[in-house]
Amino acid sequence: MGLLKTNMLIFTLRRFSLFFFTMWLLTILSFSLSFLFPGEQLINLTGEINASPEQLAVLANEYQQQANLLTQYFSYVSHLFHGDMGYSMTSHLPIMTEIINRLPATVELTCVALLVAMFFGIPIGFCAAIYHRKAPDNFILAIAMIGYSIPVFWLGILAILVFSVQLGWLPSAGQISLLFEIKHVTGLQLVDILLSDSEYKWQAFQDATRHLILPVIVVALAPATIFMRLARTAMLEVLDTHYIKAAKAKGLTFSQIIYRHAMRNAVIKVIRDVGLQFAHLITIAMVTEVIFSWPGIGRWLIESIYQRDYTAIQGGLIVLSTFIFIVHIIIDFVYAALNPLAREPNHGT
Amino acid sequence: MARDKIYLEEEFPTPLMQLWHNFKQPPVVMIGFGCFLFLIALALLASVITPYSSVENHLDHLLLPPAWSDEGNVSFLLGTDNLGRDMLSRLMHGTSLTFGLSIIVVMASLVIGVIIGSLSALTSGIKSSILNHFLDVILSIPSLLLAIIIVAILGPGLENTLWAIIMVLIPQFVHITRNAVKEEFAKDYVLASRLDGASSIRILWYSIFPNIIEKLISQATLAQSTAILEIAALGFLGLGAPIPMPEWGAMLANGIDLFYIAPWTVYLPGLAILFSVIATNLVGEGMRHALKVRKEN
Amino acid sequence: MFTMTYCKFTYYNCLALFIIVLTGCDSSETLSLSKKSIIYCSEGAPESFNPQTVTSGTTIDATANQLYNRLIEFNPTDNSVVPAIAKSWHVTRDGKMVTFYLRKDIEFHQTAYFTPTRNLNADDVLFSFNRMLDENHLYYPVSGGKYPFFQNAQLVDLIDNIEKINEYTIRFQLSHSDSSFLANIGGNSAVILSKEYADELVELNTMQEIDILPIGTGPFKFKQYSSGAFIRYEPHANYWRGKSDLKQLVFDITPRDTGRLTKLLAGECDIIAYPIAHEKIKQHPNLTLESVTSFNVGYFGFNTSKPPFNDPLVRKAISYAINKQAILETVYTGQAEIADGLIPNSSWAYDSTITSQEYSITKAQALLAEAGYSNGFSMNLWAMPVQRAYNPDAVTMAKLIQADLQKIGVDVEIVFDYEWSTFLRKISEGEHQSVLLGWSADHPDPDNFFSTLLSCASAVTGSNRTFWCNEEFDQLIQSALQTNNINSRKAYYSKALKLINEEVPLIPIAHSKRYQARANNINGTLLRSIGGIDFNGVTKN
Repeated sequence: MGLLKTNMLIFTLRRFSLFFFTMWLLTILSFSLSFLFPGEQLINLTGEINASPEQLAVLANEYQQQANLLTQYFSYVSHLFHGDMGYSMTSHLPIMTEIINRLPATVELTCVALLVAMFFGIPIGFCAAIYHRKAPDNFILAIAMIGYSIPVFWLGILAILVFSVQLGWLPSAGQISLLFEIKHVTGLQLVDILLSDSEYKWQAFQDATRHLILPVIVVALAPATIFMRLARTAMLEVLDTHYIKAAKAKGLTFSQIIYRHAMRNAVIKVIRDVGLQFAHLITIAMVTEVIFSWPGIGRWLIESIYQRDYTAIQGGLIVLSTFIFIVHIIIDFVYAALNPLAREPNHGT
Repeated sequence: MARDKIYLEEEFPTPLMQLWHNFKQPPVVMIGFGCFLFLIALALLASVITPYSSVENHLDHLLLPPAWSDEGNVSFLLGTDNLGRDMLSRLMHGTSLTFGLSIIVVMASLVIGVIIGSLSALTSGIKSSILNHFLDVILSIPSLLLAIIIVAILGPGLENTLWAIIMVLIPQFVHITRNAVKEEFAKDYVLASRLDGASSIRILWYSIFPNIIEKLISQATLAQSTAILEIAALGFLGLGAPIPMPEWGAMLANGIDLFYIAPWTVYLPGLAILFSVIATNLVGEGMRHALKVRKEN
Repeated sequence: MFTMTYCKFTYYNCLALFIIVLTGCDSSETLSLSKKSIIYCSEGAPESFNPQTVTSGTTIDATANQLYNRLIEFNPTDNSVVPAIAKSWHVTRDGKMVTFYLRKDIEFHQTAYFTPTRNLNADDVLFSFNRMLDENHLYYPVSGGKYPFFQNAQLVDLIDNIEKINEYTIRFQLSHSDSSFLANIGGNSAVILSKEYADELVELNTMQEIDILPIGTGPFKFKQYSSGAFIRYEPHANYWRGKSDLKQLVFDITPRDTGRLTKLLAGECDIIAYPIAHEKIKQHPNLTLESVTSFNVGYFGFNTSKPPFNDPLVRKAISYAINKQAILETVYTGQAEIADGLIPNSSWAYDSTITSQEYSITKAQALLAEAGYSNGFSMNLWAMPVQRAYNPDAVTMAKLIQADLQKIGVDVEIVFDYEWSTFLRKISEGEHQSVLLGWSADHPDPDNFFSTLLSCASAVTGSNRTFWCNEEFDQLIQSALQTNNINSRKAYYSKALKLINEEVPLIPIAHSKRYQARANNINGTLLRSIGGIDFNGVTKN
């Protein structure tokens, strides 16, 4: 047991050192962007497009512009640590405020979509593996092929046409009907509704759930098909191992083998690759946010490029990437918790 | 006259021939491959065989539905858009943009990625580790965000978005090249040629590349389906192809405002994208399948 | 490991729960809230909540008639001047003195951020006008110190003095007689703010909030604004014309044309601005398409401060190369009139003898060669990113112009990917070479077209997007204002129109109707031929 604990500790430390290293690279990247973007570097960094020369001089001092690059970088990072990412060039609000307003909507959409994709994709993939090279397998593979070939913006439009306009089942835009006034507490709409004391609480909750369904399905479809394929491959590999053959030899029934022995090991193999898919899922979510007018950070970033709001793009890059890393780390921990082998130092990278 | 074989010799097909042999087995893959070749032909010949120019306005024929509908006109087989431009011609010209450019993009990132990947496989220690982590950072930035950043630096436009997509694809190739090269370097035949005194570059060129090329091609087909979707997505968001160009994503975005009166302006470009991505994926799928079969034998 | 079978069990339970949540959505309950609320899908975000500081139609729609009142207003049917805050008024015979007598029962909004202690009186009127007229006024520089409507109409020079006679009487002293004065006072921008609120903000040292958290006397009061997403209003309980039946009014800001129509079809909006696909709406049993003839012009303007368009010959050449008929059929789907001049034919100043340049490639090429550009040139064309009545689809129009100009060897690059307020800001800074834009009149007087779009004063305030400043033209429109004789005014305006056609600072393209679509359970008229929409008296069944 003691060994296990040290292993877990070492694993945790390794993860965190990797996280800090990655964050360091990310801040360097974001800092260098302020030089690469058109316009003046100081203005790109602070977003103060209407500042007078005197105000700019104060800012230059604050960001240690007269010193060497390294000092400038450190002063930038210290601003970041204080939650100061400058001001948006268009709305003139602090980037931090804008992000706090929008990030939770994206977190809500992407996390629900990730769970839905796993919840449906993995069992279907197992199903395909069990019927390997039979009709259900081929059918599932064909669906999977279409699922990850379909352009997401087209899928979103078709979903709105069918489910919102023609059938009238689900709303087409936004996070909740604007009639409900929900106070912004955590930003996660469903949580905020439960925290609010509105007399229409239950209606609001239902309304928000209905708004969530279509975008979640659109975001989840492509990752779900990828999980299907991953789960199928993993299950096939597991079924090919010696211990399964031994179990068969012992006379266990097929369903006993699947449920008791194969499933857990196959799930572990899939979980390892979930993290890699998350960045892809975010890209899909950014486009989906545009189609469904979802008030998240992806849509905000795409609008920022239309308005050449460079400060917003820098801030969005840092926050969105950090979010992805955090999800990576969480998934790594889940993987390590399920799979003791992963906690051993030589496997821990 | 063919020379008679004197000795009964067992023939060894080249790796690529073997691959082709396994590749052509499943019929669905061959259908996909056929579609893929068809798209390449279309991309090359679009300007010769299209009935109209892609930007010619036929102001007497606005928003004509496709020919099989009652109000359709057979001289505009797939109908026209709100400026009276022939949809069929635009889609065909679009092939050379969305599909054709995706091939060029993949080739460029393949070359750059393989060079960086081989160099990183040959280096070791802190340099290699930093490169590794740097690639991990790039890989975990969503590709659309990366493209937005590059568009922000270079400005919008088709050429710049192509650079952006090349940048997005490079890390994947670096990753796969590095792993494959390292794997091959550990093998005995490399050791043998090293003992013969061959330089690293020579080993790479003559011994390793021929052995990893299939892996690269298989990755390239995956990358191409990504590239098509990215070009179309950036076109759809208005960051890619400038206005009159019949890029499929941009066409679809243009069609959205006509969706309720002329739905074909949305359906057709979407179908074109779907068709080309499926064809590409089928080819890739067949390739990976063939590789697997060969490995098993 | 029996947990697996257990997992399988919960798996289906979860699925079932999910479906219950889905189907459990009983829309009849939601009705209690939606029955008394209207969601209006607007086409853009307002730039400010004070119409004094801007002239854009989007801002006027969201503010002027909802939050505020004016001294006098226009009758929606015949555009005559009718009483509002002023119950009556008197103009002296020389036209130099105008006295307004105010109503005594007008209350300001009570909101979370302000509680009024008194009714509207002459101090509020004095404050509202002096803020715009007096450069030394404490509030003048707040929000940038630009009052485009007042400055374009040159009311600063016209109004010598405003005098408070008593608590409910106010007198304007004019430097000369001006025939468009009353029309200007009834215009959208001449709203009355609360002096009490302004004084309170001075004490709190948050003066800029006067244009962000508005207080007015209109039928609705401001509740919440989520930047670029929505505006929430509540009815003003003590509105002097009677409280609205609605529980709340929400402006859902939806810039995409298809997005608005989708929301209407899916029942997420009750009313949408500037609908597309008119046929689709007409066929739908639960929807109504409405239109109103509106005083507007859509134009193609040149930045005359930049080459090559500082040369009138080049501008004229371009005007020959534009096929307006094709634009009319494609962009306006035939539901507009070709504009021969700046003003529509429903205005009394319209002159049918004035015709614009015909469509002639050869003439265009000849003029271009004369100007020294026989090999053509390349230019940029900024197409407005939102739909307006005067230009329902600027990007398509730009594409047509691109194709037209290609024929005379001019390469056009279309700029369209800015958000509306960024677009307007960049245009007023003169970043463009040419632009597709338009103008909806604030009041029925024709001066509103000339002074706002092309005078030298408006070139400074930025509403003259061509930066064209011509002394002869300014002289003509000034002379037109100094007389009350409608025939001599008409003669001056005819000369001005001829000058525009000669110098071509802009090419008028079309005069169009303003459209709106709504669900059949919404009653009341909210479209106005002049100025913004008005939700007063709109109800929902």
